[in-house]
Amino acid sequence: MTIEPPAHGEKESITGHYVGVEIEGVKHRVYYEEAGPEDGIPLLCQHTAGNHGHEWRHLLADEEITEHFRVIAYDLPHHGKSVPPTTEEWWTEDYTLTETTFAESIVSIADALELEDPVYMGSSIGGNIILQLGDWHPDRFRALIGLECGTHSPGYYLDWFHHPQVNIAEVSAYACWGLMAPHGPEAARRETMHLYEQGSTGLFRGDLYYYSVDHDYRNKLDQVDPECPVYVMNGEYDFATDPDDARAVAEGVGEMASAIEMTNIGHFPMSENPELFNAYIKVVLDEIRGEDVTIPERLTPEKVGVSVPEATTE
Amino acid sequence: MSDTELGSHEWWEQYKETVNTDKEMKVRGHDRFNTNFFVEIDDDRFLIEMHGGEVETIVPNPGVNQEWSFGVRGSKQAWEEFVQELPPAHNNEIIASNYRTAVRGEDGHLELQGNNKRIFQNLRPFQRALDLMRVAHNT
Repeated sequence: MTIEPPAHGEKESITGHYVGVEIEGVKHRVYYEEAGPEDGIPLLCQHTAGNHGHEWRHLLADEEITEHFRVIAYDLPHHGKSVPPTTEEWWTEDYTLTETTFAESIVSIADALELEDPVYMGSSIGGNIILQLGDWHPDRFRALIGLECGTHSPGYYLDWFHHPQVNIAEVSAYACWGLMAPHGPEAARRETMHLYEQGSTGLFRGDLYYYSVDHDYRNKLDQVDPECPVYVMNGEYDFATDPDDARAVAEGVGEMASAIEMTNIGHFPMSENPELFNAYIKVVLDEIRGEDVTIPERLTPEKVGVSVPEATTE
Repeated sequence: MSDTELGSHEWWEQYKETVNTDKEMKVRGHDRFNTNFFVEIDDDRFLIEMHGGEVETIVPNPGVNQEWSFGVRGSKQAWEEFVQELPPAHNNEIIASNYRTAVRGEDGHLELQGNNKRIFQNLRPFQRALDLMRVAHNT
């Protein structure tokens, strides 16, 4: 795969659509992009806080993945091209994402798209929510993949993210700069920041209410008892939810869960280093579609045949 | 530059030149990054005076006659990790390193000090100025 744009005049096979989705009694117009065969295994992809589905563009463009999977990346309501609901006076209150609304949004989108046994995958807020999905909807998914997932992820619900005297766009992005490993292509890491700078004021902070406040499974991981395999995959450079946190989640969930450490990558694996992440996730996706594979507890670039930069000085 | 001791006079001279010729500092701070911050390496404190997006002066061991907006402190080992060409996880950037100190309560990382509002108002040029310590160190 490559992060380069297509040749002049060449069209990518990704298509975009809008679908009506009713979430907790409110009608929404949800945007999603998809690639892959209609009868492929649905792979539903959730973006990170304050961002949108474009973070998944390199997964959508990977033909080795879309050969088997119907990859679907949506924008959660209020994000990207999924505008706020026209029936609500959303501008009169701070946008706040709760664990209930978040989980119901994901299941409602899967229902609206009539997805049968979908695989769910998400990162950051999208990684944490596998615990609520496994807890509240134990039979809805074929597999749950939580990237950058923890039982609790405090410290990011900050008032500076909607302060009138702070550059919200720039701060929302670059407060996340160090969540990425320096090994990814700079163009990919800068693009991740570029996507972050597109969120509306208060969106990032509102999602972080879920991330750092409402999400707390420290004393109730035993409630998470899904009927499907659970993969908890955290990046070495993710300072908020590190590989030890992934192992704690997997241990707490029990025999259906496995923790996988991803080295040389951080909190936005799919967009900060698409080549390395796609190689990492293919091992897991191979197992989900029934291939006889052994998934290492610690994925390294060497194990998946991807080269990463090395220091040139001592 | 790798042969020059981190925090020495020669090191800071190279740092000043690196910041003042950095194209991204011009884009992120424009000519409005006018503040000062300190960098504390073990017990040695250096006050970086920014004016118009450039390093104007670097004052070693600022005393009671000086004031500052914010700063970063940490052990020499943490800073030496921070300035590595490929820094290790969690000492690779200031927000990362401060998170492990402030939220996780871990040792061996950097810690933000001073006025939080000023930090977030100047986050991008301040963060770039710190990242340029790595560039200067490995030039």
